[in-house]
Amino acid sequence: MIELINVTKNYPGKTAVQDLSLTIPDGKIFGFLGPNGAGKSTTIKMMTGILPIDEGTIMVNGKDMKKDTLSAKRIIGYVPDRSDIFLRLKGIEYLNFIADVYDVPKEVRETKITELTKKFGIYEALDDHIQTYSHGMKQKIVVSGVLLHDPDIWILDEPLTGLDPKSSYTLKEMMREHANKGKIVFFSTHVLEVVEQLCDEVAIINHGQIQFQGNMADMKQQYQENDNLERLFLELTQNG
Amino acid sequence: MGKMWTILKIMVKMQLSMAGKSNSEKAGYGFLFVFMIPFGILILYTLNTMIGTLYTNLSPTGNENVILGLLFVFITFIFIFVSLSTVLSSFYFAEDVESFIALPFHPYQIVIGKSAIPFLSLYGINTILLLPSLVFYGIHSESGLLYYLFAIIIWLITPVLPFVATAIVVMFIMRFANISKNKDRTKVIVGLLGFAFAIGINVLLRLDSEGSNGAGMTELITEQNALLSLVTKFFPNAYLSSITLTDPNSITGLSFLLLLLGVAVLSIILFMTVGQQWYFKGVLGLSGGKRSTFKGTDLTKQTKKKSLLYSLWQKEIKTILRTPTFFTQIVVQSLFFPLFIVIILLLEGNGSLSDMATMINGWADKTKLLTLFAFTIIGLGINPASFSSISRDGKSWFNHLYLPITPNTVIMSKLLVSFFLNGLSLIILSVVVLFFLNVPWGIWSLWFIASLCVSWVTSIIGLLLDLYQPKMNWTDEREVFKGRMIGLFAIGIDVIVFGVLLVILWFAPIFSNTASTSLFLFSYLLICVGIGQWYLRKMTKDKYTSVI
Ligand SMILES: Nc1ncnc2c1ncn2[C@@H]1O[C@H](COP(=O)(O)OP(=O)(O)OP(=O)(O)O)[C@@H](O)[C@H]1O
Ligand SMILES: [Mg+2]
Repeated sequence: MIELINVTKNYPGKTAVQDLSLTIPDGKIFGFLGPNGAGKSTTIKMMTGILPIDEGTIMVNGKDMKKDTLSAKRIIGYVPDRSDIFLRLKGIEYLNFIADVYDVPKEVRETKITELTKKFGIYEALDDHIQTYSHGMKQKIVVSGVLLHDPDIWILDEPLTGLDPKSSYTLKEMMREHANKGKIVFFSTHVLEVVEQLCDEVAIINHGQIQFQGNMADMKQQYQENDNLERLFLELTQNG
Repeated sequence: MGKMWTILKIMVKMQLSMAGKSNSEKAGYGFLFVFMIPFGILILYTLNTMIGTLYTNLSPTGNENVILGLLFVFITFIFIFVSLSTVLSSFYFAEDVESFIALPFHPYQIVIGKSAIPFLSLYGINTILLLPSLVFYGIHSESGLLYYLFAIIIWLITPVLPFVATAIVVMFIMRFANISKNKDRTKVIVGLLGFAFAIGINVLLRLDSEGSNGAGMTELITEQNALLSLVTKFFPNAYLSSITLTDPNSITGLSFLLLLLGVAVLSIILFMTVGQQWYFKGVLGLSGGKRSTFKGTDLTKQTKKKSLLYSLWQKEIKTILRTPTFFTQIVVQSLFFPLFIVIILLLEGNGSLSDMATMINGWADKTKLLTLFAFTIIGLGINPASFSSISRDGKSWFNHLYLPITPNTVIMSKLLVSFFLNGLSLIILSVVVLFFLNVPWGIWSLWFIASLCVSWVTSIIGLLLDLYQPKMNWTDEREVFKGRMIGLFAIGIDVIVFGVLLVILWFAPIFSNTASTSLFLFSYLLICVGIGQWYLRKMTKDKYTSVI
């Protein structure tokens, strides 16, 4: 379970996230929605330890991100929204680096790297520098890195942008499997079809504040007059 | 013409813009400017003295034009050297090249636009060096108004020919040589060329000075202009310029000036023509890296388990070796100093080398130790690996933040990188010290341990400075080194920290023997390491997460 309790983040001259509280239960695929600049990435960066939390607490499976930073980070796998990873490394070197960081046993590395990269179709590019990868390939190597150390919690910032249909399908399948094992998949997106098709629960954020949180059925029920998600989304985020 | 003007304006604006620079950075530039004033005065003073002395010595034989000849040859050399790197980086390596190519401009228009910044930097040097020198010469030779008028014209056109010549050669190479197919490899080759050039000049100067003190000199001086044509043999523009300025009132002076003007105009036209023909073809060939197919044959070896610190360290070293700019600015630069010494010593021939060894062995042990030590401080003070530690990561820095690695581990891995690279220099220097200068092993080991401490401290100093004000938002790796005062600050702090130590050891009477000297030396160094380590921890805690 992830708990965000009254979390606030200020950038110079701007409050990006304001007094935000959110509970993400185990075994669910949790969708995080909101217009551009709503504060999704900022929230995710605080959850993963990239940005210091100005006020409030974030608990990851009972571990405080502020105080018990290292153990909290260990159980999280994060796919950033941009692919500025270590460009001068080769694909294989990057994956082995990740394995070193998360203490992945030697026996697991070989089989898992082969399996994952073959699944995503980047196996043959493993000896090339990441710099020469396309955007989607970079995305895939990062996702492979996350799956390699098999964390309890996946936090993905717009993971499907840039992926081809096949890889996108593969990733969605994997997300489903992971949640079915009782683990957490938390991801942000703009694509409403994906939300409708994939998510068990959603939260909508606008101007740094949560507008709605609940499961898909709740959301539909609560806003019965809206037969389609798009209109609902527009309505929820238009004011304020 | 209108379009060319537009593109020129945009290029200059983008390069010189202060937008996005923090206030402290702006203050830094101001500080640097004030800081440079005494240096500037010193340089001007030296120039004036040099020109004055040469003038009094050479004018009795009518050879004073040699001064001007030397001046123009010297400045042409500098211009070629500077242009080589600025032209390459502006024409070919800058990130914005591709976006300009997409715009509806003729190649020659883009080439002219791209020349703006390299050209402006040449005029900067021109104003600092050539202009005052010409004025000083004018004063010493008591020249008239015409001299100053011609001098200004010549000052204006001097950068044109060296720049155009270099640019044409560069465009030719990039167009026809195979190196341009690989951007990374080209960058390394160019970086190495710069150093080869520096060593080459040194060698040439040496060879030349050996031959020139014979009887030939007097013979040369007796014949007017002979010395000048010797000096300017390979630089016709230098010859023309100096003749014009020595004889501004004559017909020769005027016609040579007109000739110079003609050459300048012609070379600009030639430059535009060549640019139109060759520029795009050279640029479009540039590409990233090689591609291959992974077969998985070495997979077992490639997935070996390593300790976290070693893994981080290896990542840093790989990045440095594989990024051309980092490789030349960090590895080549830090090995340059010791290698340079080795080459110079080898060239000196056996005689002077053994002379030097005998001289050094005549010194007291303390003197040996301190001299070597002072020498090392200069060598290790230039430590680009340390003051680029954080900035090298650029936009990929944030990856360190979500990975479960403690800040201190990351920082330690970076510290070890610059310590390791310094270690390579120390090994080369050790060979010189032990086998060329025959310094005894005892003194060597004291020196070596002390140097390791110095290396650790200078690495910390550079890292602290970079952590304090990193440059993360670069698009070309050169920005990590270019236009930052951090290297100067690092050397400044090094000089203060170790200068104090040296002065104490050298002058305080209690440190008369090696034992007391080393005792104090090592205590001081250990204290420095301790303070550095403590401060690094504190700074890491304060700054680590706010680096973006
Ligand atoms: N480094 C920064 N400095 C200052 N303000 C920032 C910074 N990063 C984000 N912001 C501001 O914080 C707000 C939230 O940004 P955030 O990146 O979290 O949005 P987002 O919901 O992820 O948007 P998108 O859908 O476009 O990815 C925006 O208004 C943005 O302008
Ligand atoms: Mg975002």
